[in-house]
Amino acid sequence: MSERMTRAQVPLEEGIIFPGSTCQGCGAAMAARLTFKVMGPNVIRHGIPCCPDQSSKSPSTGSVFEGAGPSLTGTSRALKALGRTDIKAVGFFGDGGVYDISFGGLMAAAQRNENALVICKDNEAYMNTGGQHSGGTPKYAETTTDQVGPNSRGNKFHKIRAAFAFAALGVPYIATASVAFPEDLMAKVKYAKDIEGFRVILIQTPCPVGWRFDPAKTIEVARSAVQSGMWPLYEIENGSTFKLNYKPKELKPITEYLKPQARFRHMTETEINEMQTYTNQRWEEVLRADEAKRLTF
Amino acid sequence: MIEIRLHGRGGQGAVTASRIIAAAAFEDGLYSQAIPMYGTERRGAPLTAYVRIDNVRVRERELVHTPDYSICFDEFISMNQTIANSMKPGGIVLANSKFKPEELPLAGDIKIACVDATGIAIKHLGRPITNTAILGAFCKLCPEVSLKGVEKAIYKYFPGRVGDMNVAAARASYEQVTDLITAKNKEPPKQVEEIVSGGYGALKDVSGWRVFEPVIDEEKCIGCKTCWIYCPEAALEWTANNKPAMISRACKGCGVCANECPVKAIEMVRVQVKK
Repeated sequence: MSERMTRAQVPLEEGIIFPGSTCQGCGAAMAARLTFKVMGPNVIRHGIPCCPDQSSKSPSTGSVFEGAGPSLTGTSRALKALGRTDIKAVGFFGDGGVYDISFGGLMAAAQRNENALVICKDNEAYMNTGGQHSGGTPKYAETTTDQVGPNSRGNKFHKIRAAFAFAALGVPYIATASVAFPEDLMAKVKYAKDIEGFRVILIQTPCPVGWRFDPAKTIEVARSAVQSGMWPLYEIENGSTFKLNYKPKELKPITEYLKPQARFRHMTETEINEMQTYTNQRWEEVLRADEAKRLTF
Repeated sequence: MIEIRLHGRGGQGAVTASRIIAAAAFEDGLYSQAIPMYGTERRGAPLTAYVRIDNVRVRERELVHTPDYSICFDEFISMNQTIANSMKPGGIVLANSKFKPEELPLAGDIKIACVDATGIAIKHLGRPITNTAILGAFCKLCPEVSLKGVEKAIYKYFPGRVGDMNVAAARASYEQVTDLITAKNKEPPKQVEEIVSGGYGALKDVSGWRVFEPVIDEEKCIGCKTCWIYCPEAALEWTANNKPAMISRACKGCGVCANECPVKAIEMVRVQVKK
């Protein structure tokens, strides 16, 4: 499990070439900046089509949308063959890649336990192409493909809990993180980069344009997602050892998370109550797993 | 046929504005088309859109190369000669600027008018989305497009209360637009080619993206690094005296630092465009 990091330990040096080409107040840009601060120079970064966040100082390579798993596999095996175990193969993908299009390839790579680190910046839709719904979109969120009208109430399905899908394969390390908790995020990246095997870090990165809120409120929204239990922060090791990193005495109501975002504006009280019940049930699950320090299927 | 070119930044609503103009002309019984130029339509990045209006069916499907009207939605881009380039002789340039039209550094066989659309938008909408705020001014300059048609088209795109606010902004700019003046210089000054640093790179400059910029009160600052750690662009430098300092080249003006500061030592102040 990752060790706690304090703000004084955060390195002053940047691992990115700034400014990037992102929108104002981009959560994914924050995630990239924080990640590459602690990643160090010996990294080969892999990308698949996604929003252009910060370009890092390390060498990078791109692949097709479904090629996340295969390209990481290729690099990690080549590095092994060359004997360069000091260089890490790191993927920095969006939620459309990890939850939808590249899911199969990543699952196969996870099953083979390839030596690669996958970092997902989860902005809960295909924001690069205008906000089409992805597997990461929460229920009732309005996207350009699930518009609200007489016969539609936004997205019909709950968000994929990809962390548990990877946990079922028993990979060495899985963690969720949020840009509102930067020390926690960096501690997890720092810990994950030196583990041997397939590691996944899912970072929730609010998108002001797609979620439709004021760019200044990015951190506020990300924080309320964690505090309301919509995006719990936890770590899973070897598919079983479980640790909840942020455990408030009492959860905040999910309306604090939903209200600033115009994509949830149409939700009625019944729908909010349904979401609240769903969130509470999932929170109970992670609490139980945390108490037992074990994830059971 | 009237051809219009719109210059703006993503998030200012230039593409919506092109549709509103086309819809307004249609409401007045004319044929029209709106063409967005697709590229990096990220919030803050420069973009163009085009409109054609005619009293017979418009058969052309190409981008507009020699416009009669050029409209600029951004205060910084308004100071750039690109908005006045390749116009038809006697073409009209409508710029979003607080300055008088004769103070703008634009040259060519053109006429110039100005309106402070950013100020109007902040007053009426509370946000610097300048599209409807400049459309009112455009109606005054273009006899083919009426304010009534534009108001009707605005309500089509923004129904209800948002529509009321946008129509109020359009009416205000209809009143406030300056008179047309002819540009003094006929020939644009020869520009020295600068190193292009678009896309990515250590030379990239996004200082033109912001409408508001952070001003740090060093007296109030407690040196907690909160603003520094949350900045998406690494645009706040941590100086030797344990205080943050803005890197002008990198700040996009999102306001996260001001929102997160625990002692409210950062204030977002509107950027003043220099002549």
